[in-house]
Amino acid sequence: MPVAARVLGRACLAGFIAAVVGGAAIAHAQHHWPINDDHISGETTDTVAAPFPVQDVPTAAEQMPPALVQAQASGAAPAPDAPQKVDESALRYFARQGDTKRLEIEIARLRALYPQWTPPADPLAVPVNVDEKLEAMWQLYSEGRLAAAQEAIADRRSEEPDWQPPQDLLDRLALAEARERLVNASEIDQYATVIRMGSENPQLLTCGEVDVLWRVAEAFAQTDRQTRARDAYRYILDNCDNQQERLATIQNASRQLTPPLLDELLALERTADGGVGEFEPVRDDLARDAVARGGDDATATVPAEQLARVEQLARQGNAASDARLLGWYYLVRDNHAEAETWFRMAREREDSAEASQGLALALMARGQHEEAEAITYRWRDESDEIRAVYLAAAANLLGTDPRPTLSEDVLGRIVAEVVAARDVPGARQLGWYARAWEQHQTAGQWFSTALRWDPDDEPSAYGLALTRHLLGDTAGLAELKRIWAGRSDRIRDVGDGRVEPAPIAPALPRAPTATPQRSEGESQPSAAAAAPQAAAQPRTAAPSRRSCTSHADPRQLSAEAALQRGWCLMDANRPMEAVDAFAVALGGSSEKTRRDAAWGQSLAYLRVELVDEAAVAATAQPQDARRANELQRSILAQRAAGAFERGRYVETLLALDERARIAPERLDLMVLRGYAYLNLRRINDAQRVFEALAATGSREGVKGLAEVRDALTPSR
Amino acid sequence: MIRQILQVLLLLGALPAMAHAQETNGTIQESEWVAYKERFVAENGRVIDDANGRISHSEGQGYGLLLALLANDRADFARIWTFTNTRLLLRDDGLAVWKWDPDAEPHVSDPNNASDGDLLIAYALARAGTQWNDARFTDAARQIATALADEAVFEQNDRLMLRPGVVGFGADDRPDGPVVNLSYWVFEAFPVLAELVPAVDWEALGRGGLDLAREAGFGARKLPSDWISIADEAQPAEGFPAEFSYNAVRIPLYLMRAGLDDTALLRRFREGIAGANGGLALVDVRSGEVKEELMDVGYRIIPALADCVLDGTPLPAELKQFAPTAYYPSTLHLLGLSYAREEQQQCL
Repeated sequence: MPVAARVLGRACLAGFIAAVVGGAAIAHAQHHWPINDDHISGETTDTVAAPFPVQDVPTAAEQMPPALVQAQASGAAPAPDAPQKVDESALRYFARQGDTKRLEIEIARLRALYPQWTPPADPLAVPVNVDEKLEAMWQLYSEGRLAAAQEAIADRRSEEPDWQPPQDLLDRLALAEARERLVNASEIDQYATVIRMGSENPQLLTCGEVDVLWRVAEAFAQTDRQTRARDAYRYILDNCDNQQERLATIQNASRQLTPPLLDELLALERTADGGVGEFEPVRDDLARDAVARGGDDATATVPAEQLARVEQLARQGNAASDARLLGWYYLVRDNHAEAETWFRMAREREDSAEASQGLALALMARGQHEEAEAITYRWRDESDEIRAVYLAAAANLLGTDPRPTLSEDVLGRIVAEVVAARDVPGARQLGWYARAWEQHQTAGQWFSTALRWDPDDEPSAYGLALTRHLLGDTAGLAELKRIWAGRSDRIRDVGDGRVEPAPIAPALPRAPTATPQRSEGESQPSAAAAAPQAAAQPRTAAPSRRSCTSHADPRQLSAEAALQRGWCLMDANRPMEAVDAFAVALGGSSEKTRRDAAWGQSLAYLRVELVDEAAVAATAQPQDARRANELQRSILAQRAAGAFERGRYVETLLALDERARIAPERLDLMVLRGYAYLNLRRINDAQRVFEALAATGSREGVKGLAEVRDALTPSR
Repeated sequence: MIRQILQVLLLLGALPAMAHAQETNGTIQESEWVAYKERFVAENGRVIDDANGRISHSEGQGYGLLLALLANDRADFARIWTFTNTRLLLRDDGLAVWKWDPDAEPHVSDPNNASDGDLLIAYALARAGTQWNDARFTDAARQIATALADEAVFEQNDRLMLRPGVVGFGADDRPDGPVVNLSYWVFEAFPVLAELVPAVDWEALGRGGLDLAREAGFGARKLPSDWISIADEAQPAEGFPAEFSYNAVRIPLYLMRAGLDDTALLRRFREGIAGANGGLALVDVRSGEVKEELMDVGYRIIPALADCVLDGTPLPAELKQFAPTAYYPSTLHLLGLSYAREEQQQCL
């Protein structure tokens, strides 16, 4: 109704006034949001709120500076029963100007101030104000020229010492200035000022000033008062009727509030006659936001309804963006088949670097490196990130077992890109590829090239050592052994007859599993992960090495298989898992297997720098039960800490849970647990843990609680 | 002296007789103020620094308020205050953001304050509240002064000091911190603020500045640099030119306006700032070399007033005429003329 009224011409004004004055069109607008009133939280405001809720004492958490409380107290409205002289000059001025928006606000304001007051039936019928100077002041005010209006008032007071400006004009100027201050402070994130201005001027917090309410809500949300922010938004949804503003309120709230609080607001949706909810247009975007968050954070929970909504949007629409969102959502959850489906759909609609990158990652995870290389080639120059994905795909493709026969085109472009990027894993893998085709001179050159780019790359040196040995280059081999003395046992052992020559085919390179980072910054998602694995574990004669890329429970394996898996995992640089595999092998019946397993486990521990555990594992076999329990506790604690350091919070919790089954949790591990929850955005769990810690007097607990509060405050 | 007069005024403030104060003429003439405001004050009360990209800042708003007050122009004071209040007094701590840029969007891009601007605004408001008996101004002055005391006044080596800005000048912020700017001590403001916010020892803050002024006479010309490290013995701060420059030129004017009767200190300044051509010298305080000699009447009135106060030499005729040149020297010019009319009529 007010929106429609605003576009009416002046001719219709009288009718509009009659409607506004007589009807219930702005019945709600006479309230303002009681900013300082903490008690009505959670209730709808269907009773008339007193304009100045001075009797409401804020809770300690919400307490305003004392000065503000006083400011409000001094601004209290006159007792409602007292006879009132209501200054209607502003109302009549706006009526004459045809300024329906301000007229409406003025009527609402006067009603709020004077509940007994009845607006004049026809403000236009009143004789024209003959005070031209005052008229000019109102004019300046209505044009927003506040400084000039103040100047005019001060001027006249100097000229006419007996003249008093109407209190209404002074109040309205003060209010307009407060509004301007509030808005300007909001623009530069001075939230305390925003809330102070709002508290001191509750008349600003009405349906006529929804923008101000939004800003106050933001200020609350940004200063750790989510529920107060929710209250402000809810005030709008309970009381204000402008459809666009209601929609925008939900959009604003979605940026400021946590999902549960936002849901409370969504429940206030009004339904039109056709049965369509008014928030329908934003629900799509909210669902997209949720799925996008899910794509950035594998641990984020996306409600099924929202996921289904975006899937439907993707299927029905023509845009690629929804399909891309879904691709990432599934990719980070390791659902590579679904991810592939959506990224394919996105690329069919609009081929892009992002969709190609996502598809390539999904394909690589499923071992389809050839297509991954093909689809990312076109986009390789778009960003460092996709170039890294391309190089990883290329390296993986070269390392595929059995060796693929690549066309000259494909091989040629891979070589060009590897050289241009000075990509060490790519060069090394070209070495293995050449070796597989018995092009040993070429292989040697690639290994040398890789070493030139990174002199510390042991796998390349190893490849070169094998090649030199095979080509009979004894001097070259000796030189390599000298360089790597003390750094690589397997290079030391090349050609000494104690080990079998490495198999021709290197192990299947591990597919990149890193979560794609679509934001700027630390990209390099998977180039390193694409490093082809060492050709063989010289210590064991393993003619056909099974891939250890799949997740398997080592406890299901035989001791020998577990031992193999342990070495494979070591090659894949996954020492923590290797420890588990070796642990199973330690239970084998063959003494040799057990010895190898103990040795392997010690190496694995060393790799993750758990030196004490390594010592124990290497020397104390067999172990008694008590010792084993002690070791296990210690290992699990270390594993939790290690996983935490590497940002693997789910693993951290798994280790802690496992440990908690055999021993009470130490305080330092509780801290770790709290932060793991926090990083997984399991805020309630984090809070519970830190509260328990804080109850023991732990400062870490108190610090953790502060972090929890920060986490509840979404950043802009 | 101004300080004593102010105290009398403040005492009188409670009396109804003060209601007539606004009918007296100001110490800045109407024609001078009109010329100034037409050049440097926009309709919305924005004081424009025309030599500085036409930006506005809290210092300029503070000077604008003070000059309007000295011209006894309540209407212009009101509009300058409206701009100051709505566009600059935005900070959570109650102080003003220092800069407002007409060409930037948003106009305020840096939320930092400048303590001299806050001090000038609070001082002008406090005097206005008394002069025009308007509690709104007094209340605003009290709030800003309290915030300034909370955020920017600190103790260093048993002296009260004034941080140039809330952020960036402390001992934790820089290796040579704290760093202060002596020209931010608007000495005449302290007695007024002492009446308004007695819980703060403003007199000690003034004393701290005066002690520093006596101490920080660097090099052959014995002048302070604009920016001074007070981590140890006072010395030019790192990262700023070690120069007596556009900031510090105000110090002798402020000393005179506040009626501080340390003639030895004033004479030291007078001799230090003497230019070869009768202008005001900007000086490299380490080498004593004159970097520039400022010839604008607004700058030249400062040594000329010192000559008069110290030796009874009347102001040269061309300095008694006000014509706007650029925001900063013209501001200093009017502050100087106002002082002469109020306190040193023998100079005119």
